[in-house]
Order: sequence, then structure tokens, then C-alpha cells
Amino acid sequence: MSERTRNRLYVLAAGILAVAVSLLVLNSPTEADRVETIGTSIKCPVCQGESIANSPSTMARDMMALVRERVAEGRSDQEIVDELLGSYSGAVLLDPPVSGATLFLWLAPALALVSGAIVIVWWERHPGEETTERPTSKTRSRRRALVGGLILAGSFAAIVVVAGFFLQEDSPGTASGVAGLAGQDLEDVSNETMEAVIAANLDNPQISGMRLALAERYFDEGDFQSAFPHYLAVAQSTASSEPQAVTALVRLGWMAWTGNQEVELAIEMLDQALAIDPDSSTARYLKGQVLWCGANEPGEAEQLFTQVIDNGDLPAGSLELVEEDLNAVRTGESCT
Amino acid sequence: MLALLGSLALLGALIGAGLLVVRGIHVARHGPGKDLTGAARLLLVASIVSMAAIELALITDDFSIAYVAENHSTTTPFPFDIATAWAALEGSILLWGLVLAGFTWAMVRRYRSAPDSLGGAALAVMGGVAIFFFGLMVTVSNPFEVCVESARLGCLDSSPWPLAKAQPPLEGPGPNPLLQNHILMAIHPPMLYLGYVGLTVPFAYAIGALSLGRGGTEWLNRSHRSTLVAWSFLTVGIVLGGWWAYEVLSWGGYWAWDPVENASFMPWLVATAFIHSALVQRRRGMLQAWNFVLVIGAFALTIVGTFLTRSGTINSVHSFTQSAIGPALLGFLVLVLAGSFTLFSTRAHLVSTAPRLESFVSREGTFLANNLLLSVYAFVVLIGTTYPLLLEAFTGTQVGVGEPFYNRLAVPLSFLLLLVMGVGPVTPWRQANGAVIWQRLRNPVVIGLAVGLITALTVTRNGWIVLASTLGTYVVASIVGLAGVQIGQRRRKRDQSRLAAARAVLIDGDAPFWAGQLSHIGVVLVALGIAFAANLGAHAEVEMSPGDTTSFEGYTITYESPFRRSSPGKITQGARVTVLEDGNLVAVMEPAANYFGSDTTGISTPDVLTRADGDLYLTLLDLDSESATLTFDTSPLIWLIWLGGAVTAAGGAWSVSARRERVRTPDPADDRAHV
Repeated sequence: MSERTRNRLYVLAAGILAVAVSLLVLNSPTEADRVETIGTSIKCPVCQGESIANSPSTMARDMMALVRERVAEGRSDQEIVDELLGSYSGAVLLDPPVSGATLFLWLAPALALVSGAIVIVWWERHPGEETTERPTSKTRSRRRALVGGLILAGSFAAIVVVAGFFLQEDSPGTASGVAGLAGQDLEDVSNETMEAVIAANLDNPQISGMRLALAERYFDEGDFQSAFPHYLAVAQSTASSEPQAVTALVRLGWMAWTGNQEVELAIEMLDQALAIDPDSSTARYLKGQVLWCGANEPGEAEQLFTQVIDNGDLPAGSLELVEEDLNAVRTGESCT
Repeated sequence: MLALLGSLALLGALIGAGLLVVRGIHVARHGPGKDLTGAARLLLVASIVSMAAIELALITDDFSIAYVAENHSTTTPFPFDIATAWAALEGSILLWGLVLAGFTWAMVRRYRSAPDSLGGAALAVMGGVAIFFFGLMVTVSNPFEVCVESARLGCLDSSPWPLAKAQPPLEGPGPNPLLQNHILMAIHPPMLYLGYVGLTVPFAYAIGALSLGRGGTEWLNRSHRSTLVAWSFLTVGIVLGGWWAYEVLSWGGYWAWDPVENASFMPWLVATAFIHSALVQRRRGMLQAWNFVLVIGAFALTIVGTFLTRSGTINSVHSFTQSAIGPALLGFLVLVLAGSFTLFSTRAHLVSTAPRLESFVSREGTFLANNLLLSVYAFVVLIGTTYPLLLEAFTGTQVGVGEPFYNRLAVPLSFLLLLVMGVGPVTPWRQANGAVIWQRLRNPVVIGLAVGLITALTVTRNGWIVLASTLGTYVVASIVGLAGVQIGQRRRKRDQSRLAAARAVLIDGDAPFWAGQLSHIGVVLVALGIAFAANLGAHAEVEMSPGDTTSFEGYTITYESPFRRSSPGKITQGARVTVLEDGNLVAVMEPAANYFGSDTTGISTPDVLTRADGDLYLTLLDLDSESATLTFDTSPLIWLIWLGGAVTAAGGAWSVSARRERVRTPDPADDRAHV
């Protein structure tokens, strides 16, 4: 067989195979997993940079369940995405649209590819132009000065831009109030921004309110590790208002007990809370629980639960809870 | 005591680095004469002492040091107490400094055998970088601050003055629970740092060569080994990071295009481009200016990476540390970029030589394609990572850039790279013609397509998997074919046994070339692993009561009972599950949640069963006395990714250890160009 014929056979074989593979793939019955696709394109609101498909958090799982439900109902991808973005604040589309502010994001790589290719072709056509004509020392130093000047100007601009970026991130403290968030409703501020503002205003005594709000937010998200230092700071700061300090101490006591089984520490925290506000029902109730479950002191617990009930002033639904516990203590049940 | 020792050691390292700069510049200007060994030795010894001080403080629970008080607890078990030394910001910068001192020492050893001005200039640059990092440690990121006001757990206030009266807490909170959940977290950061910091060496030689206006390949030859060492460690570090995420983060994935993952991937892409384009310069004298750009870029990206990881600017799953170090790193980055490119632009005419590219259809042409693709790839990752940040900073608009963006751009780029990877090694240098290349590629192409067809007929018709197996087979077939032809030629010429001929060609011949091909095979394995795991995995979420049985992907899974185990500093609660296949017990698995020290949330810890056809991945979502909610995932052939990463890095290691004879050894492809 001549080389020519052999080559033709190879081309033929490759062609047939390529067509066969393409036909099989293009007529593939498997369609992309829509739930997964939608899931990876939505940022989980309570996580740090993870998509709802990749996050084990409860909210992400709820959202994924919603996606599954809507896909089963036959809704379109766009409808589902719109619903998610609309009903969960903080959910962000991770698949930037090819328009508006993110148009450049899509164009830039294409531009880079094309301009890279153009540079390579140009370079191939005009090789070594810079080196073929040896510049005289005069033109060289002039060119050097020009290029150096341009680059210095460019880097100066970069420094200004970078500085601007940081100033905007966490505007340094102003004379009064908590800087950086003037006039904003705390509800609309992200955890990250709050962290940044707190970090920039460490010496500002008025930061306690925001610290506590952030700590509560972490607490609600179950992120006790992040909540802990903020509660601690609020509890220790002399600038905190009494209710703020009490809330922080109660939370700290709760975390010390449930997280660490640190009974003594928990009681100390709760006692501090009660020292500030002797009427705090939450502190008293929690102390009772700790004594009952952690220290095996049902007698003292009974006393505390009774005080809580006598004190009244409980949020709706809590009374039943406390009464239940009180009965359990009285009948000598062990804590559950 | 340890705080004082550590602080003095940091000062010693700073002095060593300063001396290295002064003397290095002297050598660069006036030729060898000044001794550089002493300065580098001071730098190295002082870094070792400071690292030893922090380790000793951790092992002896010395809570008077704020770093220990904030990141350690008496219950932190071995080896996590050791690894805590680099688990948080200050310690990780210290590790960075130590690794930098190690690389500097290796450079000095080389310099001693042949002292010259280039070596002196490069060491001065190393000293300059060391000044920055040790400067960070004595100012904004001091690992030896003394705890002067203790909190119940940890430290409230600390003083940089080592003789300040310490008020140590009785106990610390311990390292971040995520970090002590898996042994990989002890190894992954040092690997990554060996990679990151190693890229300083080619940067130092490049800046040295530019300052001296000395072109040629000398700076490439000197930094060749360090570049490969750094690249290999970076490869291992990235893959270990993915593996750690898979084993710990319990979402069944290994890569999420998280900014911090991207931070390690960008220098890798640029370093990979550099390794290829350096080869073109060493071989053909081309691309000299471009090599300077790549090396400066790779080094700058390691600083960008550190900035992203350590400043807390981008909040991601990795932002364990937040600090005021951000502006310092950003300033250093601007300095590096502005300084390097000013130097480059004023010296470029002295160091650039540009022999003509004879034809695009040549080995050089494929390297150009490789460089273009890798650079655009790195650019895609860079813009995807920074764009939301910049946009929000300047306009306040919040946009998300996640997996969908990267997948749309990175996947095609990866496939194009595979395509080029098959063509490159069989294409002759200088000028080839299409017929020769086709003659060498026709077998791989047909074999690749045939395997693609078989995959489509028997395994799956998923396009990505079929494409990956087609291209992967084609790349491997072209490498194996090339080796086969050369071994055959050698056998005929020398009448050797097959084994002896293979040895002569692959080991004694152009080993760096074959080492590179081994890395290519590793990359193919990674691509296959990704294609299979990403496209063929199954997922289910099931709530079960003890005794319940469910079937999933051919397995019969029974929830037996909940369990609880405690060990010092850690409580594990989980579900014990038996896995049967065809009535035979395959495994008893225990997806669980770990509770460390004061942590109350629990770190979900998946249990992974690895088998030849892939992994079964179980995660515990919820557990109460009545039921457990579990997720089941299969990750087909995911071990190919870990294996491929190891093979890729092994290629780098082989290349480092191989004798460097590139210039003298006739190129395999050239030999055959005339056939």
C-alpha cells in the first residue's frame, strides 16, 4: 500500500469515527442536571462565597429543595433563578450576565486571546526590530526616560486607585458616631462590611451596638465561633449599654454550657448578667437549666424557674416551656 | 523567654537579609569579593530559631505568647499542635520567611561554587524580599507578641515588646476546627509555600539579570532547578488542597473556583507557561523578553495570592484570617510590579534577542500556542477573582462570579491545551510540514477517536466525558508512540534488548523531555478524573431511622445506629451505616460531625469509601435520637485526579533530578524530521 493510500485511509477512518462519536454525543439522551446547574449559579446568602449546591448550611439546603420542587413543576430556569434572587436577600447570581456591568468580564478574555494572537503574528512578521537597529545612547536614554516616566505615572495611579479602594472599603473613623455606615440601615449591611467597620472602629466605644447585632447574626446562623469574640467584646466593654451587656453575657453563658459543658463558667457569666439586670428572665431561666442539667442541682433550679414564672414578663410561648421544666424538676425527672 | 528568643531571632533574620542586600549589591557592582555566606547563614539560622521558638511555645502550651493563646489549646492533639504554627496569619508568614531563607541558602551554596555578579544581584533580590516578609513579622504580623490581657479563652490584648509583663490565659480556643479536622491540613500549606516561595528564585535571577543588563540563558539555567522544584510543590499543594476540601468540606467537591483556590492556581498556570517558554529560549534563543514578563508575573501572582488569602479582603471559605496586613501586601505588590516593569522596560533592549520564528508550523509554534492559552487561562482566573471586588469597591455594584463563569471559559481552554499537548511533542523544531506532523499524529488521532466511540457506546454518551477520553487517549497515544518509535530505532541501531533500549532512550537519553511527557500524562489523568467525577456522579438526600435500608447506585445502605465518641479536645457524633453490594458487606461507614473544644456548630465530616470505579461519599446532615439525614454521592474515578496530580508532580521531580543535557542531546523529533 502506498503512503498516499495509507494516509487517505487514516483520514477516512478518523472522519468516520469523528462523525460517529459526534452523532452519539449530540443525540445523547442525558440532559444536564438542571437542579445542579441552577444550584451552582446562586450564591448561598449565609455562606462565604459558596454556591447553594456546594453548601451544607440549612438555608442552602432549603433553597436547593425549592429548586428541586420548581424543576419538578416544570418552571423555567429563569423563573426559578428570579424567584430565588427575589425571596432570599443576599442571594447573588454567580453566573454573571453578558450585559451591563459584567459585559466587560466576558469580553476581556476574548480580547486577551485575540490581542495575544495578534501580537504573536505581528512578532513573527517583524522579528527583532528592536535589536536590529542599535539605538544611539541619546535616543536610548530619551526612550528610557519616557518609558520609565510612563510606568512611574502608571504605578502612581495604581497606588491612588488602591488607596481609594481601601478608603472606600472601611472609611476611617470620623469624629462622631460609627464611621462608614452613616445613615444605613443595619439590616442592609453584610456581615463582611460589619466586620470591616468594626475592625476600623475598634477604639470607638459606640461600636457595641453593631458588634452585638453582628454577633446575633452569627449566632442565628449557628456560627458560634465567629459570634464568640464579638459577644465577649460587648460584655467586657464599659461602653455597652446594660441590656447589650446582659444579652452578650447570656449568650456567652449559653455557649460555654452547650458548647463546652463548662458549667462553672456558664454560671459565672449568667451571674454577671443577673448582677447587671436582676430581672433578666432569660439569664435566670438559663441558669436554672445549667444548674439542673449541668450541676445536678434540681433544688436551686426549681427555685429559679419559680422566680422566672413569678416575674412574669415572658415572651409568648415561653411560659409553657418554663412550666414544663419546673414540673419535670419537681417530679425529680432528669434533665433531657 | 520564648517571646524574647523569637523576637531576637526575627531581628537577626532581618539583619541577615539586610546584609545580604548590601553585600549582594556590592558583588553585583564590583564583582565577587564580599562574602555572602555569612549573611545567608544568619538569615537561615535566625529563621529556624524563630520557627523553633513558636513550635516550642505550642508544644509547651506557652500561652504568654499571644499567637499561642489565640490559636492553640491544651487539648490540641499531635500533630495539629505542630501544624498550628502555620494555621494562622502570623505563623504562616513565619513559615513563608523560613522557606524563603531555605531557598536563599540553596542559592548561596550554588553561588559559593561559582561566585559572580549575577549570583550576587539575585541574592540581593532574595534579601530584599526577605526584608519585606521579616519586616511584616516585626511590625503588623508579629508572631511573638506577648499576651498582656488574657480573656477566658484566648487573649484580649497583646504587646509587641517581648519583655512586657505577660498575663497568659489558662486556656486558648485552639486552631480553627476546620484546620484540625484532617491531617492533610498539616501538609497542604507547607507544600503550597514551597511552591509559592520557590518562584521567588527565578524572579530574583530575572531581576538580577535585568539590573546587570545581562541577557542570555544564564539566569534561566541558574533558576531552572528551583523553578521545577517550586512548580512540583505547587502542583502537589494545589492537588492536596482539593483533596482536603473533598475529605473535609463535605459537599463532595474538590474545587469551587474559590478566590483562594484561584490564588494558588494562577501562579501555577503562569509558572507552567514559563517552564515551556524557558525551554524555547534555552533551545532557540527566542522569547527572552516574554520570559522576563512571565517570571515577574508569576512572582507577582504569588503576592496577589497571599494578599487574597491573608488580608480577608475577599471573604471565602478560606478566610480564616483577617488582618491589617492587606495594605502592606498590596503596597509590596505595587512596588514589585512597578519596580520590575520599570527595570524591564529600561533594560529590555539590552537583554532581548529575537531570532526569527521560521514558521508557525514548528515546535516553537506549539509552544507559542501553549503560552497564549495558559496566559489567557491565568487572565480568566485573575479577572474572575478580582472583578467583583473591584466593581464593588468602585461602583458599589455587587456581582457574583462563580463556577458557571469559570466553567464556560476554563473548560474550552483546557480542552484546547490538551489538543496542543498532543501536537507539541511530535512536532519538529524550526520548520515542520503538515504531512510530517499528520504522519506522526494519525495513529493517536484514530486511536483517540476509537476510544471515544467505545466510551460513548459502552460507558456514557455525556459529551464532556467522551471528549476528555478522546483527547486524553490521543495525547497519551502520541507520547507512547513517540517513545515506541525511538526505542525501536535504538534497538535496531544498537541491537539491544527492549528493556535496555527503553532505558537508554528514556532514562539516559533526553530524560527532561520524557519527564515533561510524564507530567503531560498526569494532566491527562486529572482531566479524565474531573470529567468523570463532574458529570457521572449521583446524589441523594435521605432521612433514615435506625434499621432503615435504602438502595443507591447498586449499593444497599442500612442506617444501623447513631454513635458518639470522645477523645481529648474532640467529640464525634455520627451515624453508623453498613454498605452492601450484591448481598456482601462492602464497608461500615461513619459519616459524622466533629466538635472541637469550644466549638458548638460541629464540623461535618464525610466518610469516603474509595473503590476502583470511584468513591461512595456519605455526609451527615442532621442527627437526632430518632433519625439521621444523610447525603449519598458517587464520584466516579475521582481518584484519577489525585493520582494525576501525583504523576504530574513526579514528572517535575524527575526533571529536577535528571541530568541536564538538553543542549547536547539531539532532539528526538529532529531525528525523525528527516525520515
